Amino acid sequence: MREKLDLRFPADGSVLSIQGLEIRPGDRLVVFGPNGSGKSTLLRLMAGTLSGGPALDSTYLPQHPYLFRGSAGFNMGLGLTTEEAVRARYLADRIGVGDLLEYEASSLSGGEAQRLTLARALAKRRPWVLLDEPLSAQDERDRFEIAALINSEIGDRGAVIITHDRQEAAFLGNRMAVLVGGRVLQEGPVGEVFSLPASDEVAAAVGIGNVIDGEAVDGEGPLTALRAGEMTIWGVGDVNRGQPARAVFGAEAVTLFRGREGAAGSARNRWVGTVTEFRDLGRLVEVVIDVGSRVVALVTPGSQEVLQLGPGAKVTLTVKATAVRVNLR
Amino acid sequence: MDFLFEVVGDALSSLAGFGGELRRVIGLTLVVSLLATAMGVTIGVPLGAWIGLGRTRVRTAWLVAVNIGMGMPPVVAGLALLLLIWDTGPLGGLGLLFTPSAMVAAQTLLAIPIAAGVTAGAIKGLPSSASEQLAALSLSGWQRGRVVLVEVWPGVLAAVAAAFGRVSSEVGAVLVVGGNIVGETRVLTTAIVQETRQANFGDALALAIVLIVLAAIINGFLTWMQLRDTRRA
Repeated sequence: MREKLDLRFPADGSVLSIQGLEIRPGDRLVVFGPNGSGKSTLLRLMAGTLSGGPALDSTYLPQHPYLFRGSAGFNMGLGLTTEEAVRARYLADRIGVGDLLEYEASSLSGGEAQRLTLARALAKRRPWVLLDEPLSAQDERDRFEIAALINSEIGDRGAVIITHDRQEAAFLGNRMAVLVGGRVLQEGPVGEVFSLPASDEVAAAVGIGNVIDGEAVDGEGPLTALRAGEMTIWGVGDVNRGQPARAVFGAEAVTLFRGREGAAGSARNRWVGTVTEFRDLGRLVEVVIDVGSRVVALVTPGSQEVLQLGPGAKVTLTVKATAVRVNLR
Repeated sequence: MDFLFEVVGDALSSLAGFGGELRRVIGLTLVVSLLATAMGVTIGVPLGAWIGLGRTRVRTAWLVAVNIGMGMPPVVAGLALLLLIWDTGPLGGLGLLFTPSAMVAAQTLLAIPIAAGVTAGAIKGLPSSASEQLAALSLSGWQRGRVVLVEVWPGVLAAVAAAFGRVSSEVGAVLVVGGNIVGETRVLTTAIVQETRQANFGDALALAIVLIVLAAIINGFLTWMQLRDTRRA
């Protein structure tokens, strides 16, 4: 069932040239990259709406969903078997468009149209799920809930999901490929690509961030606490206790202090760790700290000297809980 | 000016004396035009949908053929059909020469490319997101055709109107294959030609008025359907 894809488009590979991109069942591959990097072309080739690709046996959500004349319900049922339509109906309810099915499709907003077509695409039982920016038209407050639903609906199928949003990438994927100028610059587990970008180009494209997996252990108002090994991370999110969760925060959100104590402050997250690695990114320095899990921080070369952060140095890290997003994994 | 007033006066009196022959001509015109439009649309619209929905070489070849057909002079189409149905021609055995059936066949040939061309154009004019979504749904060919024809419904109505306009106004094809036989194959357009050639301008104008009124009624109905549909969408 695994597929190793070699894709060139057009034949000279000027738009897209990819060798040996592997996709497998149970794997959610996020393709991340700037506008015009060839992401949608890649997905269209996989789906077969653009000829010259593998045309996988797939269900595919295009980047710009289009509803045809007729009711929303008519559109949702297009191309589905009876059983799939029942599933789509259930998903539409979960996703907040179940009460719109009687209306003319043209009366739906862009966000509603995207949800409706997403429900249809997820309900279709095909071994591969291809989603082009499935959350692009959604409000911030709904995105994480819908992301969790997408993950559970993909289940053990293989998925390729396109996004140019870091948090979406972190919450939708377990593997990530960075596409720039039609070429895959880096591919690996999402957390690894974010925290250890293979090149400056990748770092520039994805930013540097922390993606840490654990289990939700506590909640308080809008916050959820996640336990990953020795580490407890507080962040914004609503995950029930005992469920697998993932915390995401940028490397620039991490403040470093020398020694075990560090300065007092309002930051909810406060960890002590050992510096293991430096990577000079030009104008900034990436510092990798072992806190039980690996955390990356970005500092300027000046503050690195001030802090005297040699490998093996003990440091205290603080991150505001509001800078961390926690979601169901 | 006196001449024109005289002609209009003749036309009105000839309309007032609405006789059996005129009734027969109108009836045959309606039957031939509407049948040809119906058959042309029945074949042309699905053909146009098929052409509009893909970009293969075969479909492109058909698109070229349809575009040529849209500009085909009716008298040429009539001649081609005449050669086929001539007594000693390949289809001579059918006995179609100088019959209303031959006129319907000739006009159907003229209506098909118009209906197909307008339909294909409407489909090709859909936004790229529509064709991408349609391809993404992996529907059967029939389902795809149905969805897309409903989507471009005002365009389909335009195809019907254009096909009807083509067949109701043309004179060359029906004249060649029908022969303009009084009481058998005479329709409004051929009758107008006949009366004009005999300098019966009053009768010619009367027939022209009838033809325009018929066209206005049918196109008015199609326009009403289009508007009603646009309001609903």
